[in-house]
Amino acid sequence: MGLGLFSLVLMFADSRFDYLTRVRYFAALLVTPVHYVAAIPVRVSDYIAGSFKSRNDLIDENQALKEQLLLEQFQLQKLEHLTAENHRLNELLKASSDVEQVVVRAQLTGESPDPFSKRVLINKGSADNVHIGQPVLDAFGLMGQVVEVGYRNSWVLLISDPQHATPVQINRNGIRSIAAGTRDSLHSLTLNNIPNTSDIQVGDLLVTSGLDQHFPVGYPVGIVNSVTMDPGKPFAEVLVTPTAHIDRSRNLLLLFGNKPEARVATPVVSATVPVVSQVTLEIPAGGSIVQPESAGADAEVGEALPQITAPEATGSADTLNAGIPVTGGQQ
Amino acid sequence: MSSGYQKARGGWIIALTLVIAAILGVVPMPAWLEFWRPEWVALVLIYWVIALPHKVGLLTAWTAGFFLDVLEGSLLGLNAMALTLIAYVALSLYQRMRMFTPLQQSTTILILIGVQQLLIFWVLTATGQNTPKNLTFVITSLSSALIWIVLFPLLRYWRRAWQVH
Repeated sequence: MGLGLFSLVLMFADSRFDYLTRVRYFAALLVTPVHYVAAIPVRVSDYIAGSFKSRNDLIDENQALKEQLLLEQFQLQKLEHLTAENHRLNELLKASSDVEQVVVRAQLTGESPDPFSKRVLINKGSADNVHIGQPVLDAFGLMGQVVEVGYRNSWVLLISDPQHATPVQINRNGIRSIAAGTRDSLHSLTLNNIPNTSDIQVGDLLVTSGLDQHFPVGYPVGIVNSVTMDPGKPFAEVLVTPTAHIDRSRNLLLLFGNKPEARVATPVVSATVPVVSQVTLEIPAGGSIVQPESAGADAEVGEALPQITAPEATGSADTLNAGIPVTGGQQ
Repeated sequence: MSSGYQKARGGWIIALTLVIAAILGVVPMPAWLEFWRPEWVALVLIYWVIALPHKVGLLTAWTAGFFLDVLEGSLLGLNAMALTLIAYVALSLYQRMRMFTPLQQSTTILILIGVQQLLIFWVLTATGQNTPKNLTFVITSLSSALIWIVLFPLLRYWRRAWQVH
């Protein structure tokens, strides 16, 4: 009886406040070996699959990766030019500062055993300076954010969870909305409160709008899958498929350098803001989107992308500089 | 001297079986099999409560549930409460459960795990988390009841081989 009541109090405290973060942190240290042992079958099968690949397959893969790298480098040249141009334009407008984004590679080590929970476990924790609220991406788009940090692992809440909502804008025309997760076991999102008259089409790309001051602007979130406009209802029903391979990606990227203090926006008269957001929308968004889409041609290549660019950017094995400018268009 | 040693060893064996159950509970499985994953920790706990009610009780259940919550990243206290409830019911039933035929035991397990799933379902709904729209969670209690037919003799064999009492 007492234990039951205590559990209720505990659940209430855990769902409403964050007193229990430390408790979780230390208890998670104790259960880390369990996760480690549970992941052994996967690791063994990965090892076996990796060591029994035929030489021809490896040569083919190598060739494909080289071609991909060439393509990426070509696009990177353009991106650098665009980044510089964007920076100059921003300076002209005195709008906001560019923040270099640093990403750290993380690997998916597990997921919640509950098939309806949309949470995954990654192999980076407080030892790697992971913090709560940190955005998590894969090679194709936004995956989610860190909700619980352990010493060597953290839980990531996926964008398709019904408790998660992502501020987005349509890349084509800048219409803003919020993409919320849904209750179905498929990973899809819905756009809430889209008026029936708004210009939204199937196939539109949604990128983060950055208006939450949390996710950096311009990362792809999803592609509009269906638009149902029922004249009897005030809002259109819009379903979105995430661009990130939410149920398949094993190599993830943790985004650093978007803490609030890093995204200082100089006070702007509100009238100039729309201009700024238009400029920033077209340039960095295009730059960062072309890349993932071309990588989408080959899943394996796309996932290997961070490894390729890593030495070139900073020389460190694990960290690379995505070089995508963040403009805190504060409104 | 030797009885104290045996007692301590018994505690470790109970803990070990619970840890193995926890590992089985989080081991990655194909998506279609996820629905059929039995509630391993709950089953092992029920076994120990029936076998050694003087040793394994509500406190063990709560502690196991607490660590299960941390392990699964679920709401802290959720599994703790559910397992405490199960242990409570099992404690009040253990004398009958020991006399039951495997089929009767299995049916009891079906109901026990079903109640536990329902409790978890309520809490998840109350806190606005993702829950199944249909009754797929019933499958979990069904698979738990089926696996019990094998698990019970296995755990009993272990208990006798290691002389846990």
